[in-house]
Amino acid sequence: MSLLECNALNMSFGGAKVLSNVDITAEAGAITGLIGPNGAGKTTLFNVITGLLQPTSGTVLLDGRNITGLKPFKRSRLGVARTFQRLELFTSLSVRDNIRVAGEIGAKWQRNSADLTAETDRVLDQLGIRDLADRDVTEIPTGMARRVEVGRALMTRPKILLLDEPASGQNEDETDEFADLLLELCATGTSILLVEHDVALVMKVCSFVQVLDFGVVIATGTPEEIQSNSLVLDAYLGAEQTP
Amino acid sequence: MQDFLAYTVLGICLGSVYAIAATGIVVTYTTSGMFNFAHGAVATMCALVYWQLNQAWHVPGLIAVVLTICFFAPALGIFLELVVMRGLRDTNEVTKLVVPIAVLLAITGTATWIWFRDGARAIVPKKFFGARNIDVLGQPVYYHQVIGVVLAAAIAIGLYLVMYRTRLGVTMRATVDDRRLLMLNGGRPDHASMASWGIGCGLAGLAGVLLASQQGALQVFALTLLVIDSYAAAVAGRLRSVPIAYIGAMVLGLARSYFDMVSNAGQNWPAIANMRNAIPAILLFAALLLLPQGRLRGAVVTRTRERFNVPTMKQAVAWGAILIVGVAMLQALMKGAAVINLTNSMALSLMALSLVLLTGYAGEINLAVYAFAGIALIAAWQFDVGPGGLATQESLSLAAIVLAMVICAFIGGLIALPALRLSGLYLGLATFAFGVIVYQLVILQPRPLQGSIFGQQFTVNFFTNGSVTVPRPRWFGVDFRNERSFLILLTVMFVVIGIMLIRLRRSAYGRMIIAMKDSPAACATLGMNITRLKLGVFMLSAAIAGLGGLMWAAQQRTVASNNNFDGFASLLLFMIAVVCGIGYVSGALLAGVFLSVLSLAIPNVFQKLGSDYESLHWLFVTGLGNFAKFVGAALIGIRLARNPSGIAQQVMDGFRPLRRVPVGTGVWVASIVIWWLLAWRGVIGNWTFALGVIVSAFIVPRLLMAMYPQRFIDEGNDGREDLDMIGLSRPFITSDRELFDRELAIPLARRGGSDVTA
Repeated sequence: MSLLECNALNMSFGGAKVLSNVDITAEAGAITGLIGPNGAGKTTLFNVITGLLQPTSGTVLLDGRNITGLKPFKRSRLGVARTFQRLELFTSLSVRDNIRVAGEIGAKWQRNSADLTAETDRVLDQLGIRDLADRDVTEIPTGMARRVEVGRALMTRPKILLLDEPASGQNEDETDEFADLLLELCATGTSILLVEHDVALVMKVCSFVQVLDFGVVIATGTPEEIQSNSLVLDAYLGAEQTP
Repeated sequence: MQDFLAYTVLGICLGSVYAIAATGIVVTYTTSGMFNFAHGAVATMCALVYWQLNQAWHVPGLIAVVLTICFFAPALGIFLELVVMRGLRDTNEVTKLVVPIAVLLAITGTATWIWFRDGARAIVPKKFFGARNIDVLGQPVYYHQVIGVVLAAAIAIGLYLVMYRTRLGVTMRATVDDRRLLMLNGGRPDHASMASWGIGCGLAGLAGVLLASQQGALQVFALTLLVIDSYAAAVAGRLRSVPIAYIGAMVLGLARSYFDMVSNAGQNWPAIANMRNAIPAILLFAALLLLPQGRLRGAVVTRTRERFNVPTMKQAVAWGAILIVGVAMLQALMKGAAVINLTNSMALSLMALSLVLLTGYAGEINLAVYAFAGIALIAAWQFDVGPGGLATQESLSLAAIVLAMVICAFIGGLIALPALRLSGLYLGLATFAFGVIVYQLVILQPRPLQGSIFGQQFTVNFFTNGSVTVPRPRWFGVDFRNERSFLILLTVMFVVIGIMLIRLRRSAYGRMIIAMKDSPAACATLGMNITRLKLGVFMLSAAIAGLGGLMWAAQQRTVASNNNFDGFASLLLFMIAVVCGIGYVSGALLAGVFLSVLSLAIPNVFQKLGSDYESLHWLFVTGLGNFAKFVGAALIGIRLARNPSGIAQQVMDGFRPLRRVPVGTGVWVASIVIWWLLAWRGVIGNWTFALGVIVSAFIVPRLLMAMYPQRFIDEGNDGREDLDMIGLSRPFITSDRELFDRELAIPLARRGGSDVTA
């Protein structure tokens, strides 16, 4: 049984079919990659998994439990956390408070009495943004802001973390550093579903990759298999004209 | 049966006018993303312009109608779009609602100023074709009404076709979805917005003209409210669907008509005689309950223009102490009448505090603060005084206050619940509707409610003789019936609650509220039950509103049922609070002062000038005084678009130099204390004192900036140095490298150290 399982998800906006019969899985203790060209439906899929959108049909299972009808906050409490491709930071709060408040929201339902100040500092260190902690979140570079979103999601202690293009806006060095962070998180028990355009990053950290194109899963397999899959190459590079 | 048919015909006639108004709202909302709260006021203005043309200036009816609806109304709409609404991009939902509210108050104020400045007069617009009518199912229907029915249907169908079948319609709808994308595709969103405001106001004008001539003598606020009733129909269509708004309007018209039938125009059941006027508000609630939950909003724009800083607890306590001392010093100089004004403004500030929590922190909207005041008043009076009378009761008890606050919180929670699932605008509309219901069914209720529970007889009095008298407190051996001690009590209450709010804002709960305002979607994915948090905030805010309202009533001793409860005063309070700086406790303080000054002090000053200089009476009283009284506040509200963070922020920025030059603060405080001592000893008069304090307060910071320019080099860039100018404004130094690294957020680990020479 996979940790996260999407079965035959369909999603339409008016006449536009954005997801059709999408089956996606993410295994426990692994980083699963989800790639696809712009407009393939990746972010919509994340919205469906987290409950911000209700699918037209299909089911989402977490640990075998059907969570399709649950509200977003209930899914979060069961262990689904995410970041947003279009940043959704709390723009009135500092970097530290952005992360801290996630823990404070969690303290309401986790009933943990963990020291949130220490926990926040730990996450800031882990993400390498400690020296930005007191900055206004609107004035830091996008790449760093994405890390803040990751930190915020980590404060909920998720079983599965959905990352929506976390490396865009980070430079090469930062991305390398970030790859190590993802591997470390995975090793300490957080499973990850990673949407990313940086193919090198995906190939480096993912043990399994699924490819979405125009709302349809066109390929699944190990990074090596995906790299040589002709359908995937067509989707990204365009099919060669055959006379 | 004959009756039923006749009332159905009447209902359809009324519903048609509502439909015209409601489609106007829908057009403006779907095409510019703005809910035009001023719709009702535009309608009233147009009805008055039509009357002026047709009956005062004897322009033939048809020409007057065309001039009003095809020229004046669209011109007004386009003017509003160009001058006011265009400035609202990148502002939050609250600002987007407040500015149209200010426009509403400005238009009704202008109408009152032009047509009713000398009190009531009989302005009765004529029906088209006079009394000519046809017989429909035994009910005579005026040509006027037939025109309404035909136009409503034609407009609904026509607009539907325009929006979905024409290029202009597509452009208009695209404007809301993605303005930039539309521009990149060669669309002209500014033109589309102007067209939508023009059409929307034209429809409002038509509805106003049709409605006014069926209502007898025209009253500005009554007619405006009548058109506001049609908002319920627009909400039923989620502000987006013309056909559903049309159906909703018909339901509304028929419901009112049938109620007239079964209740014999309200005569059958005196207890709900005013139900007729509450029906649209009740239907609005029904519509809100039936609407499906909207998608959770993400951050609307990456950075809205409203910015609020948070004071530290130390600052909050210090300023609180300064306020109490300041008020105590000030009242020592004042005569009795002036002290009453000051007490009044402090009570209003207390009411405005409820909005700091709800609107400033949580970004939600309450347009019925006075309704909560009324509820608190009835509850406390019932508990403390009771039907027995006031003679036995000399003090407002703490228990009564607590009870009143609890009841306000409970009722607040009940009415907010259906709207909380939806966006803030709907909560605003729901609370406004609630205000109307409370006013019509409770405040205007002439009869006490009698009954029995478990054999215990009880009587609940509302505003039984048109007013309620509440005692003032007598606590801790201090008699607060004395105006001056009551002023101090209110000031202390304001300071305590203000500090508690700042404490709350700095707590985990406060951060959660702010997070919820910034991005509900992100909060939900972090496990926050948003509805519950919003509900809690709304209940707390309602309780504070109740407390403020109770003190406001105790300040006046006797409150009449026609005093501020009709909905418009709540709009004014909300607007002024936002304008003054809703994110700050000091903003609430300013709001109270503003309301008091605008409604009492400024007109009084002009009245005095007018009687002193008889020949200039028209200028001072008719012109400036009335203008300030009727329109002034609203114009300040409209200016909010330019500075969405409010006046409090500007004032604090003005005093910033004091913080940088500690000596200056001493000079500043000393100068004010000296002025006060002089006034207190009677050396100078109060006017001189006021002038002196204002000059000192504003000049000293400027002087400091002139004297210590080096401490203010970086002013004007959010308090930081402009990095782009380093090297030009001053020579580059090695330590700048570190500064750049920090600003560009290059992590410490990879900073090369300071060995690099620039």
